[in-house]
Amino acid sequence: MAPEPPLLTMSGITKSFPGVRALDGVDLDVLSGEVHCLLGQNGAGKSTLIKVLAGAHQPDDGTIGWRGEQVTLRSPIAAMRLGIATIYQELDLVEGLSVAENVYLGHELTTAGFVVRGKDARTATAALLKRLGHPEIDPARRVGELSAAQQQIVSMARALSHDVRLIVMDEPSAALDPDEVDNLFRIVGDLTAEGVAVVYISHRLEEIRRIGDRVTVLKDGRAVAGGLPAKSTPTREVVALMTGRNVEYVFPERPTLRDLPDPVLEVRGLARDGEFAPLDLTLRPGEIVGLAGLVGSGRSEILETVYGARRPSAGEVLVDGRRLKPGSVRAAVRAGLGLAPEERKAQALLMLESVTRNVSVSSMSRFSYAGWLDRSAERDAARKATRELSLRPDNPSAPVRTLSGGNQQKAVLARWLLRGCRVLLLDEPTRGVDVGARAELYAVIRRLADDGLAVLMVSSEVPEVLGLADRVLVLREGHVVHTAPAQELDEHRVLDLVMEGSPAS
Amino acid sequence: MPELTSRRGLLFGTAAVSAGVLLTGCTSNDSSDEPAANDQPAADDKPGKQVTIGFAGPQADHGWLNAINDNAKNRAKKYKDVTLEITEGSNDTAAQIGQIETLINKKVDVLVVLPADGKALTQVGLQAMRAGIPVINLDRIFNSPQAYRCWIGGDNYGMGLSAGHYIGEKLKDKKNARVIELAGLDNLELTQQRTDGFDAALKNYPNIKKVARQAAEFTVESGQAKMSQLLQAQSKFDALWNHDDDQGVGALRAIKQAGRDDFLMVGGAGALSAFQAIESDDSVLKATVLYPPTMAASAIDLARALGQSKGVGGLAEFEIPASLTLYSAVVDKDNVKQYMSTGFK
Amino acid sequence: MTQPVSPPRDDTPKLSPQAEPGSWRTVAARADVRTLSLLGVLAALILIGGITKPEEFLDTRNLQLVLTQASVIGVVTVGMTFVITSGGIDLSVGAIVALASVWATTVATQEYGFAGVLFTAVLVGVGCGLVNGMLIAYGAMVPFIATLAMLASARGLALQITDGKTQIVSIEGILELGERDSYVLGVPPLVMVFAVVTIIGWLVLNRTTFGRRTVAVGGNAEAARLAGIDVRRQRLYLYLLSGLCCGIAAFLLIVLSGSGQNTNGNLYELDAIAAAIIGGTLLSGGRGTITGSVLGVLIFTTITNIFALNNLQSDVQQIAKGAIIVAAVLVQRRTASTT
Repeated sequence: MAPEPPLLTMSGITKSFPGVRALDGVDLDVLSGEVHCLLGQNGAGKSTLIKVLAGAHQPDDGTIGWRGEQVTLRSPIAAMRLGIATIYQELDLVEGLSVAENVYLGHELTTAGFVVRGKDARTATAALLKRLGHPEIDPARRVGELSAAQQQIVSMARALSHDVRLIVMDEPSAALDPDEVDNLFRIVGDLTAEGVAVVYISHRLEEIRRIGDRVTVLKDGRAVAGGLPAKSTPTREVVALMTGRNVEYVFPERPTLRDLPDPVLEVRGLARDGEFAPLDLTLRPGEIVGLAGLVGSGRSEILETVYGARRPSAGEVLVDGRRLKPGSVRAAVRAGLGLAPEERKAQALLMLESVTRNVSVSSMSRFSYAGWLDRSAERDAARKATRELSLRPDNPSAPVRTLSGGNQQKAVLARWLLRGCRVLLLDEPTRGVDVGARAELYAVIRRLADDGLAVLMVSSEVPEVLGLADRVLVLREGHVVHTAPAQELDEHRVLDLVMEGSPAS
Repeated sequence: MPELTSRRGLLFGTAAVSAGVLLTGCTSNDSSDEPAANDQPAADDKPGKQVTIGFAGPQADHGWLNAINDNAKNRAKKYKDVTLEITEGSNDTAAQIGQIETLINKKVDVLVVLPADGKALTQVGLQAMRAGIPVINLDRIFNSPQAYRCWIGGDNYGMGLSAGHYIGEKLKDKKNARVIELAGLDNLELTQQRTDGFDAALKNYPNIKKVARQAAEFTVESGQAKMSQLLQAQSKFDALWNHDDDQGVGALRAIKQAGRDDFLMVGGAGALSAFQAIESDDSVLKATVLYPPTMAASAIDLARALGQSKGVGGLAEFEIPASLTLYSAVVDKDNVKQYMSTGFK
Repeated sequence: MTQPVSPPRDDTPKLSPQAEPGSWRTVAARADVRTLSLLGVLAALILIGGITKPEEFLDTRNLQLVLTQASVIGVVTVGMTFVITSGGIDLSVGAIVALASVWATTVATQEYGFAGVLFTAVLVGVGCGLVNGMLIAYGAMVPFIATLAMLASARGLALQITDGKTQIVSIEGILELGERDSYVLGVPPLVMVFAVVTIIGWLVLNRTTFGRRTVAVGGNAEAARLAGIDVRRQRLYLYLLSGLCCGIAAFLLIVLSGSGQNTNGNLYELDAIAAAIIGGTLLSGGRGTITGSVLGVLIFTTITNIFALNNLQSDVQQIAKGAIIVAAVLVQRRTASTT
């Protein structure tokens, strides 16, 4: 690399949201003309980092250097002015406006400051689209009429309409066909040849191999590796960085082999078209079964389908031998299932409400007579459940939004504990939980199993599944490729299984 | 309601129907429903040339407007030589323009138009006149005299004058007499005209002072609400003028609820309920000033006369006048019988 | 890169280190601050009324008047508060009041006497609420659109029933209810109904599973669904409840005005929404307060009363109403963010 200073230097970037530390001292440096890949699981902090870079979030701590000078990105416009453009995964185009209007939205070509020169904008847009290899897109068309891939091109044209030096692309290939991906890579190549830097975010390792120069891996809000050579770092090492542990946890001990009672949950041939293939699974009280797999392997979809939140295209779920009404959460809950979903804030918690009300929401009929709530009984029961899980603070009236991630998760677990649930479905149980609080959560989950609950958990962290589960199902692209007791597997074996057949391994 | 064709749609339908069945017994509204009308003989009863009259009015969402339609229809029925083409009433200017254009295309002989908005419909009035169809503009006046052959309508300022003079005469011997006013919807120009007329008339009586004015919204509900506040605000006053008999139903209700009977009330417009109350003389309502819906019947007369190239009986001219402003007569116990049949509901 | 970590003893949240005993009081205090700020506004209004028109304003009859005038819209607002708390909106309340009041006062209905009128008003309200609820809960229509459609249809049907005519009530029992002789210990029956609806509404929202589910659906419908709550059925019930309140309000209006008219309930939807919002119910759902809503209604009614007593005209009244909505919301946002 040339000795010139990096284009962008982010160092010690820290950003907290209520209940979770999203970024914890992240460093990132990007050189002019390179493709710098940002890798990490969902929730590792990638989106927060690029929002800081785009000026949409203000960091709590840390500094940003731009061409050797320290800068503050107060707003998206400030970032834009420096030459930093971001293409978000959810495209931020105005569907009702034309292509050219979108490209020049916010910096319209004007005469005398307010008369929009529509024709000039269309001509300039046509030139940009040609440069991007899509001359067939008519600058006068409404963006809403374009395909997802075309909209992405428009988004890119918008970035290029500024004097751009750094483009951030958030999973740009997610919505594209292979042909379109090829075109995207050609564009990325052209840009870097002109000296523009690209920060490229993707889950697809093979893409990173093809176009990446260097790789930074994020995990739990930290950069676990920075500036690795993209072409030569072994895939396994990259995956291990993403899914592995940078700290060793003390997992609770597994009970010695016991005679487990009859299965409480049976899944027979359950499938959803395009998401996961027919799946068979039995779960006994006291047992923890883990699903291991990468993003897109169908892990969360399986849990939500078992729970009735998604309607299966085939198969059935039985609890105690009785078939559940498909696609009905209420039937599942009534039969004794409980889900701690991946997106706790969006899918589980009532953020304005107290801990008590969050815990009791699924068991209200227990504290009510003809709909009339016995609030002291409710509070006592909720407190009993939260104490059992050592939820802190020990204050049932505390608003749940003030709790840390780990304690919010405990509130969700307490909800199902109070409900007397018998099968607990855990989707990424330690997502957004501070690293220090995880061991305690593991102990809690194991204790619940020891008390007779059946647990089905999903995690993108292989060591977590291996450390906590009794039995592991390894998933790849919606198929169970291997089932084994956790003791018989190790991290390398699982990584081989989840990546088997992928071109770069 | 949007049309629903799904199974769920059927479900809603059934629900709605079953709710309906329970209630259908109660919806019918017949109660010897005679239209408010004036039985005065028409200017010239002798049958003449066949005349087709097109009639376009606003949506009859108010008792007075409903009476306008009834008056027009019934008057037309009286004449063997008149065919009435009446449109669905609409408050939407664009829709009303469309309806009038349809009538023009049908080549009716004369048009009678009560515009939802006089200014906005001027153009279509001009269009009809240019097409050779004379227009009788009813009540709400067009912007340009070229848009109508004859205007006939009520006199809002005159209403205020009549009410003010009536009250003035009743109270002229009373020292420091206090008068209050329950106005109609303040957003309308006509409300201001009525108030101006009322104030002008009261100026003739130096012993009388208008102590309060509140605006209701021509509805019973608002009449009750505003009147009850006025009664609380004015523990003693001698007379009340209420602009509109519809809201007067609510005002009378508030007066009864407050147990007050220490003043005289004059209404406005000429609703049947007001006439009945005046006749039975058992409430504070002693008189009402007219804004007669019979003007629609007169408009039909004028249209027929135009179509048959006649003048107005009783006048010397060969032609009907270019404009006719109706007099706001005061109806009290002495003459209420005569007006009873014109009262609207 | 790897280092062993022993299980930590606890993980007290970083955000509120001393949250333990304090936060419960913070929650309570916040609710109180909100209510207190409304009571403060009301007290200021009473002061203004008392200074400008001491004799007429500070008078038992005036109190009866204000509360009576608040009753009809108050009952509607209680229903609206539930709907808004659940994250919905009901634009059809005024139209339902109009339809119920005219349907219940047709000549044919009046033949069935007091009970017939009451029954019809309530049934029409519930029926309209049922249609709203079905469209929204099971027809997956946006509440704004579904209730807007109901607004248009109900107003149209009300006009069709009346032909624009005022339907006078001739049933003595109904008329008497709105008059002075039926006041019990100085309390008008309409106000009693308003009070009972308010108390029941408060209890249902704060003390029952129904109220809890309403808040949960409004706070996070997806979380409520995944927690096993039947979100759709809850929505159906909520619009039914709003319809029921409209039916009751229609009956009160019939008693108050002694008539039914298709123009009844004009812009009730805006008054009810405004009262609920300045009362502290979140327009986005998840938090609702009956106390606040009722205070909101009383504030509006008191303003109207003071303006009328001082003979100020409707233009000034409307300007003041707008200013008070803005001021109340700003004050609340401030108190909500600083505590």
